[in-house]
Amino acid sequence: MRWLPALLSFALPFGALAAKKSPSVDRFQEFHTKAVASSPIKLADNSYKKLTSAPRDHSVAVLLTALDARYGCQLCGEFQPEWDVLGKSWVRGDKKGESRIIFGTLDFADGRDTFLSLGLQTAPVLLLFQPTTGPHAVPAADPIRYDFTSGPQSAETVYAWIARHLPDRPHPPIYRPVNYVGWVVTIVSVLGIAGALFKLSPWILPVLQNRNVWAGLSLIGILLFTSGHMFNQIRKVPYVSGNGKGGITYFAGGFQSQFGLETQIVAFIYGLLSFAAISLAIKAPRTRDTKLQQIMVIGWGLVMVITYSFLMSIFRIKNGGYPFKLPPFM
Amino acid sequence: MAVATDASSAPMELLVSVGKNQSTKTLLRVLILCFIAAAAVASRLFSVIRFESIIHEFDPWFNFRATKYLVAHGFYDFWNWFDDRTWHPLGRVTGGTLYPGLMVTSGAIYHALRALTVPVDIRNICVLLAPAFSGLTAFAAYLLTNEMTTSSSAGLLAAAFMGITPGYISRSVAGSYDNEAIAIFLLVYTFYLWIKALKVGSVMWGALCALFYGYMVASWGGYAFITCLIPLHAFVLVCMGRFSNRLYVAYNTWYALGTLASMQIPFVGFAPVSTSEHMPALGIFGFLQLVAFLEYVRSAVPSRQFQTFLYVGLGGVFGVALLGLVGLTTGGYIAPWSGRFYSLWDTSYAKIHIPIIASVSEHQPTAWPAFFFDLNMLIWLFPAGVYMCFQKLEDEHVFVIVYALFGSYFAGVMVRLMLTLTPVVCVAAAIAASQLLDTYLVYKSPVAPEAKEEEVTDGTAKKSKQSALRSTSQPVVGIYTLISKGFIAGAMTLFLLIFVQHCTWVTSNAYSSPSVVLASRMPDGSQHIIDDYREAYQWLRQNTKEDAKIMSWWDYGYQIGGMADRPTLVDNNTWNNTHIATVGKAMSSREEVSYPIMRQHEVDYVLVVFGGLLGYSGDDINKFLWMVRIAEGIWPDEVKERDYFTPRGEYRVDSEASETMKNSLMYKMSYYNYCSLFPPGQAQDRVRGVRLPDQGPVLNTLEEAYTSENWIIRIYKVKDLDNVGRDHALAASFDRGNKKKKAGKKRGPRVLRAE
Repeated sequence: MRWLPALLSFALPFGALAAKKSPSVDRFQEFHTKAVASSPIKLADNSYKKLTSAPRDHSVAVLLTALDARYGCQLCGEFQPEWDVLGKSWVRGDKKGESRIIFGTLDFADGRDTFLSLGLQTAPVLLLFQPTTGPHAVPAADPIRYDFTSGPQSAETVYAWIARHLPDRPHPPIYRPVNYVGWVVTIVSVLGIAGALFKLSPWILPVLQNRNVWAGLSLIGILLFTSGHMFNQIRKVPYVSGNGKGGITYFAGGFQSQFGLETQIVAFIYGLLSFAAISLAIKAPRTRDTKLQQIMVIGWGLVMVITYSFLMSIFRIKNGGYPFKLPPFM
Repeated sequence: MAVATDASSAPMELLVSVGKNQSTKTLLRVLILCFIAAAAVASRLFSVIRFESIIHEFDPWFNFRATKYLVAHGFYDFWNWFDDRTWHPLGRVTGGTLYPGLMVTSGAIYHALRALTVPVDIRNICVLLAPAFSGLTAFAAYLLTNEMTTSSSAGLLAAAFMGITPGYISRSVAGSYDNEAIAIFLLVYTFYLWIKALKVGSVMWGALCALFYGYMVASWGGYAFITCLIPLHAFVLVCMGRFSNRLYVAYNTWYALGTLASMQIPFVGFAPVSTSEHMPALGIFGFLQLVAFLEYVRSAVPSRQFQTFLYVGLGGVFGVALLGLVGLTTGGYIAPWSGRFYSLWDTSYAKIHIPIIASVSEHQPTAWPAFFFDLNMLIWLFPAGVYMCFQKLEDEHVFVIVYALFGSYFAGVMVRLMLTLTPVVCVAAAIAASQLLDTYLVYKSPVAPEAKEEEVTDGTAKKSKQSALRSTSQPVVGIYTLISKGFIAGAMTLFLLIFVQHCTWVTSNAYSSPSVVLASRMPDGSQHIIDDYREAYQWLRQNTKEDAKIMSWWDYGYQIGGMADRPTLVDNNTWNNTHIATVGKAMSSREEVSYPIMRQHEVDYVLVVFGGLLGYSGDDINKFLWMVRIAEGIWPDEVKERDYFTPRGEYRVDSEASETMKNSLMYKMSYYNYCSLFPPGQAQDRVRGVRLPDQGPVLNTLEEAYTSENWIIRIYKVKDLDNVGRDHALAASFDRGNKKKKAGKKRGPRVLRAE
């Protein structure tokens, strides 16, 4: 970081020369020089004001964010690398500054006053300041705000949004640096795991070839999927919810909704019923002891009847008009 | 099956011998299957009995229209059909963009009946096609299950399950004239033929399988399920070390002939060699050639090291081929997974990238009640049946297991794919149920346990310890007491009876509504039919020009084409997202923006569905956000979803609604004049349950042309340009008697006009 001031002082004379023509040109040049060194530029209150003050003939895209863990802004953290990619690749493709846009990041920690003056309650906010003078000037001086409502954004969508607002200017393409370290790590770890598996194969193979293991895995998979696990994944349902009286509601009201715990209960019931059926059909006729067999059949039979009755009573919670019931859960 | 109850010995023995007679058994089976088929057909006729012989819902109306075209113009015209009455002004190459199997099947039946001089209306064939094929599906399920188990009752149980389970009835009631109507039969039958081909290893069965696969491709886009499942099965078999010449013959026959057959369908064309969905089949085809070659070499060169080398080589080639596939895909030579398929894996994909797919209610994930609703007790017999498949674990059982896993995953991700899960559930549940019943319905009890020793030494099966299930390590003895037998048999009988009741109840209550005609109950319990849709479509048919273009949301496109016979802008064949977004933009923008769009598309009438008066929740205001989202996808600057919410993020339609919402064309059309129905201050929307403002919206560029009895359908005529060149707002304001606002003050200083 020490070379940055040096670079700045080196850039200053150019700025001073340019200042004779127009005060805003040197402002753009000054910031662009910074940007070439590292884009998006890290801003603070003062530099933010300086960069965005009213008569300007350049565009500014500022991301107002709160990266500090104290603020717990998850979206900020998710979007930051994308924003860095966008800022870097734009400057990389436009070293001369022909597109006349500066990418900046203002963290809440450095720019508390700016956040207050803008009246911002949430982060991240992406503002695009259009030039007020010069060839690309637009009539409205107010910045355009990017909409983050639909969740984390990729660099590409923001790129498209910015490019749309900067017509007839160059739009350098997004360049994502190849993650060599990542590749090496992946290849090495894959090879390592493969080697380990090969070495451990005398122990792993019997497990892999064991029919019981596969049967168990298949049943778990089927029970998961048929009890609505994928619905939980896709809709991100809550695990349980309160009933407003301090208690817990285990079953969601409607036919089209469910809770996480609810699906686990249902999966357990399905599993119990299946296991009862398996025991009755396979285990019981293979039991040689008469008494044991009798107890087993009656026991599993009762489990089957009672659990099924319970399942139907649960289903009646979900679907009020369901007419069928079995004792004991009437 | 036949239990003799007669006391006298001679007739009883006769009966027993009759029951044991092979031909009697066959006769019984045929009879039972016929009854099952009859039950399957009968349980699908609720809607015909309650309403009338009518085509249901949306897509079936297009299929019906296409069938009529096929019957009227012949096959070759149908093949080359360019439909200029949909997607105005683009038109649709209908012959090349549909799956013709369904229409051709009904057309063939129609002509066959005509040839037999049976005068039958094509509509009735279309209405009753799905129930008829459900009988065939039950038979196919019987055949498929018989391949899985030696129990004679399993197949019949599977047929019965398949015939009446709501998961299948949901798409095959009378009048539901959709591709699925015949596709499920083809799916099950193709799987049966595949299993048969695999077991026998014969080219004939493989070719038959390919033939039915071709028929399936011609009928339903869901054929990709077969295209992926059969290679997967083959792959799993090879991984288990079960490669055999039977597998080689069956797979190659199926793949080569089936791919050729599928490429004959214009809509599919070269997709089998150029899209990712079909790549597994191609890859396994190549893989099997390699495996076969290596097997051959192995049999010829008995060297252990050579074998290892070969297997490493095999893995290497497989990996290289996979890399090549990835490379070709990134290079753009092979189309990547199309959105609809991709969204099955990456479940958040559709929501972000293709709102038009996410907007369809059939494409939502499945909550657990839906599984129980559609399959009832089969849902817990299903895992038990899959477990029982692990007992013997022949090649065909591997198929059931693979199918069960993937089927349940897909059914969990998308409600609609419950349909592809249902057959395997029926098969597996039938295996479980029949094993239970076979065990507990045997009258003969085993003798006392002392005699058991020799039975053990006889040893029913010599299984190697490692490969068998632990629960089957003991030999089968049987059930000793009658109490056990009676208890379990009784419970199962009760469950099965409840299952039948459940299926009838679900079919009658949930799946038999044509949704074109709505039924409601009067206070005295009598049925009241709400027929607004047909009323409005009939009005269109009789009161508008033959080529009047109707703009509506795409859901109603097929119905307008089928019932009103008028050109539409967009319909349920959502092939052009931009065009749909255009309609969405017109619906969701202000009148000043919408009017030019409608003029450009020569729209004469706009049709909206409004349920506020009746409390009909499937109306356009409830679908409105999807229109906004789809339009936003194309014009993100002009249509923004957030503008339709109040600042607090609520979606409201009353006086608190956002300005954009109130000014949108859809809102105006829905609530135009609505408050005049009520006394002042009482106007109420019964779907959203809110009170509406007294001052209704003002429409300038449209005029109300027709509103159906219960206000479900409202049709507006697009005004022509004003005669004296005013804009519509001015003209309408003049008509209302408002004085023209003086613009004098705003006028700048007078300037001399220099012509």
